[in-house]
Amino acid sequence: MSRPPRCPRRHPRHAAIGPDARRVAAAALVTSAALALTACAGGAIAQSTPASNGQSFVSGASGTTIFGSRDAPPAPAVTGTTLAGARLSLSAFHGHVVVLNFWGSWCTPCRAEAPALASLAAAFSHAGVDFLGVDIRDTPASAEAFQRDFKITYPSLNDPGGLIALDFRSTVPPAGIPTTLVISRRGQIVARVIGEASYPGLRGLISKTLAQPS
Amino acid sequence: MTGVRTPAATGQPAQREPQPGGPRRTGGTPAAPFGVLGWARWVWRQLTSMRTALVLLFLLAVASVPGSVLPQEGIDPQAVQQYYVAHPSLAPLLARLSLFSVFAAPWFAAIYLLLFASLAGCVIPRTFRLAGSARQQPPRAPANLSRLPLTARYETALAPDEALAAAAALLAGKRFRLRTGDGWVAAEKGYLREAGNLLFHLALLGVLVAVCVGGMFGYKANRLLVVGDSFANTATDLDAFHPGRAVSATDLQPFTITLGKFEASYVTSGALRGQPSRFDALIRYSAQPGAPMHGYQLRVNHPLAVDGVRVFLIGHGYAPVFRVTDGTGRVVFDGPVPFIAVEQAGLTSEGVIKVPDAHPQQLGFAGVFLPTAVDVGGKLGSAFPAPLNPAVSLVSYAGNLGMDSGPAQSVYQLDTSGLRQLPIRPRPLAPGQSMKLPDGDGTLTFTGYRQWISLAITYDPGTLPALIAGMTALAGLLLSFFVRRRRMFVRAAAAPGGRTVVELGGLARSDAAGGFESEFATLSGEISSAHQARAPAVLEQGPGPGPSGPPAADDPTEGE
Amino acid sequence: MPINEGMANLSHYAFVATVVAYALAVLAFACDFAFGRDALGPLRPAQQPAADLVAVGAPPASPGAGTPPPGPAPGPPPPGPGPAVTPAGAGAGREAGRLGLWVRVAIGLTALGLAAHILGVISRGLAVHRVPWGDMYEFVTTVTCVAVIFFFVLMIRYRAYRLGLFVLGPVVILLGLAETVIYTPAGQLPPALQSYWLAIHVTSITLATGAFVVAALLAVVYLLADRHDRRAAAGQPTRSGAIFRILPAPKVIDQLAYRTVVFGFPLWTFGIIAGAIWADEAWGRYWGWDPTETWAFITWVVYAGYLHARATAGWRGRKSAWIQLIGFGCLLFNTIVVSILIKGLHSYAGLS
Repeated sequence: MSRPPRCPRRHPRHAAIGPDARRVAAAALVTSAALALTACAGGAIAQSTPASNGQSFVSGASGTTIFGSRDAPPAPAVTGTTLAGARLSLSAFHGHVVVLNFWGSWCTPCRAEAPALASLAAAFSHAGVDFLGVDIRDTPASAEAFQRDFKITYPSLNDPGGLIALDFRSTVPPAGIPTTLVISRRGQIVARVIGEASYPGLRGLISKTLAQPS
Repeated sequence: MTGVRTPAATGQPAQREPQPGGPRRTGGTPAAPFGVLGWARWVWRQLTSMRTALVLLFLLAVASVPGSVLPQEGIDPQAVQQYYVAHPSLAPLLARLSLFSVFAAPWFAAIYLLLFASLAGCVIPRTFRLAGSARQQPPRAPANLSRLPLTARYETALAPDEALAAAAALLAGKRFRLRTGDGWVAAEKGYLREAGNLLFHLALLGVLVAVCVGGMFGYKANRLLVVGDSFANTATDLDAFHPGRAVSATDLQPFTITLGKFEASYVTSGALRGQPSRFDALIRYSAQPGAPMHGYQLRVNHPLAVDGVRVFLIGHGYAPVFRVTDGTGRVVFDGPVPFIAVEQAGLTSEGVIKVPDAHPQQLGFAGVFLPTAVDVGGKLGSAFPAPLNPAVSLVSYAGNLGMDSGPAQSVYQLDTSGLRQLPIRPRPLAPGQSMKLPDGDGTLTFTGYRQWISLAITYDPGTLPALIAGMTALAGLLLSFFVRRRRMFVRAAAAPGGRTVVELGGLARSDAAGGFESEFATLSGEISSAHQARAPAVLEQGPGPGPSGPPAADDPTEGE
Repeated sequence: MPINEGMANLSHYAFVATVVAYALAVLAFACDFAFGRDALGPLRPAQQPAADLVAVGAPPASPGAGTPPPGPAPGPPPPGPGPAVTPAGAGAGREAGRLGLWVRVAIGLTALGLAAHILGVISRGLAVHRVPWGDMYEFVTTVTCVAVIFFFVLMIRYRAYRLGLFVLGPVVILLGLAETVIYTPAGQLPPALQSYWLAIHVTSITLATGAFVVAALLAVVYLLADRHDRRAAAGQPTRSGAIFRILPAPKVIDQLAYRTVVFGFPLWTFGIIAGAIWADEAWGRYWGWDPTETWAFITWVVYAGYLHARATAGWRGRKSAWIQLIGFGCLLFNTIVVSILIKGLHSYAGLS
């Protein structure tokens, strides 16, 4: 009757010819296999284990993403109340290029990019480009002080509950703060900048979007 | 057990290795040199051996030890920083070896990945073999039953065929699997043991898989929420977001939560005075924008489940409310600031207030909030965690907060490198009281306090599979412990004098605890009674060589 | 619900009575060693003919059988120990009921102490209106109660009376420590522990720990008895030979220890699973490498290693006993050092 094969058990006797060198080589082979596994897969899995970063907000992976006209998703219908108390919606800007900036007065990169945003808003003010802010996790007093300080004249929607960011969840969600979205004249989100936006970078994005046909 | 035949031992030319197909029973070093494929096969055999799996398992346990004794980044980053301060030369070395994040270290992952491979490589083929041999018959009865560990022998007047038939009927009645032959009956029982054993190890694999699935497709997030505020589950609105590798911000479930009220009660008298007795957070939530809002009483051990995600009440604290008027007379700050408790007995909490848009100078404050402020010999402290006598005491700074450029700051820490401390002594402020800053820098008013809760939001699709795998492992474990694989053999041969000699033999394949002796004795007795009932005879039992005797070298000792 | 102070006091006095009764029982066991007559027969099974093994094991239900065994039937097959145990008790069978006075006194005191112990646990539970294993003090008192119950069953069933000294001694010390150093007054649990999972998770861990305590003590006795036997066989002088002559054979003790671990290991596994389910409900993750979780896992691994070793030729006997003791060491480390000294999510379950 055929014996069912089994997993190799520890065999107390060793082959008569089995030089130690071969064993060392074998051990080295197994070890290097382990290291190879480590390099490929272990590190990958290890990265998914959470580690605290000590801050209290999500910075997100900074960078610029540009969407081609074919896969640029349409911006959702966004409505909110400005810091001044007026109702405002994104549809009011249809036909213009819109730069939508998620910010907070407590956020250092937002403060760092504020001068650039203010001067770009002034530079493009008569070119059919509108700037709109979305103020996150802020109180009206701090937000107004921020706008005064950086001479921000464009309106900002007050969004303490995070609802406006929620509107973007299925299209191009703001994956950290600050996030700047550039919306074309046709209402498509053509670019997203996560992290501090630079003056030349944002300026180039706006110009390119302006050049697109409406 | 046959080892690898070596040329020196047998005088034959060295065997060509590897042999295609067919099992090999080798655990030692291969004798003849062979190619890459041969080495790979040999490595695989070593990896999937039980010894290697056990070594890896022990290694995993040993590797976990530093992760439990040293502070870990993922659990308590502040403790790690304190360790750096306490051991300045040792700490960087430990960090290089990933000893402050052991469970996320590549070498730790290597160990459990190898264990995974070892387990899978051994258990899965064995499962297939078990499935294939589910109808396997017991082995033939050995010729010489007296070499088995347990034997009995007697004579009966029944014919051999009748004796065997009676024995077979009895054993079949006890659900033994039978095989008959010329002059013998072989019976085996307890096949479930191997099934249970394999089930247990397969289920362990299942647990590993579930953990991987959860790690890849799940996420964890945190959010601190002050009473009266609400938040949405988006990356911009969370305090911390740790996605698995396959998760991005678009995958976040779009629920919103509003914190209506938070109540905490504490033990007010007795030896456990000050210990919390209840936390209740009354929240309203909606699964997505536009969906109706529902109310829920969020408590520890009673998380909110919404849209497949669960939200847990992890902690709580106080958020004193401040209003700051700057030098120009304008209100530049007005809202709650969460303070974090530094001790549990009285919930003394520390926090900072940053006012970056104050004129003429940016302002910063750092201090404590005391729920029940008492003066103990000149030092301020909090005597009880409930807000019976709330007070704040702050140190004031002016200058450059460092928030206008550079790296992002934590909202709980004040960078005083660009600030100078204002010459105003901190004194405790009761709700409603103000502090006027010198040099016309402004005024700070402590207007009141609110409470906050901290929430942990987790989404882990691997939780339920891990639970099922765990319970299956337990079931397999119980099966493999309490089902024993054992064999009974009966031989009946005609003896001179018209009588029949009946020999019984018994063997337990996996009986480290003992116990088959009694079952064998019971079965022997019953078989002999059955024979006696048909033809009374003299019973004569004989002992076997004892349970410690060497197992027979032929078939019955096989096939575990 | 307010704490029932009357019940709390009753519990406290009951535990004090328990310690006193156990301490006296330990004295009685010791006196039995010193002054008792060898009512269990002077011979050890190694010196008995092997025929006894099978003869004793034959069931009483075969009237025509040759020499009916005098001892009691070993009981249902699993987890009956089989005839290997009864040679020590075979003598007892021959002189059933003629236990020495000291042993009878010791057993009686143990039973009294156990009754007071159970009363103490129950009244503590009634005082706090929940299962009485919510903090370190309650955990220790309950674990020792479980251990003594296990041992009592083992002792009566397998007639291992002489092991009483070695089990009750440490129990007395543990209980004494519990009543003095780690005593916590009856009180409410913090909100994190207010869950029905407390009953499930801590109960199974408590039962498993009780079993492992008994198994570890048996392993120590086994190692000492085995060393004595080896020295005696080698002709070397041995100390305290008298004790080992009247204890059960080392192999018997080893099998008892194995069976106890077999009982405790699935419970420990279930305890870990239940703890993971509770952690998932309370903190949102079923495994976070919290120090207590990590050491529970390490303990599990070592006991699993013990079970594998026990089934592997060449590792039975002393080597596996040492592995078991290492596992128990990990368990002790987890209960004492990790709960008290190392900060983690389990910390509040320890000392207040």
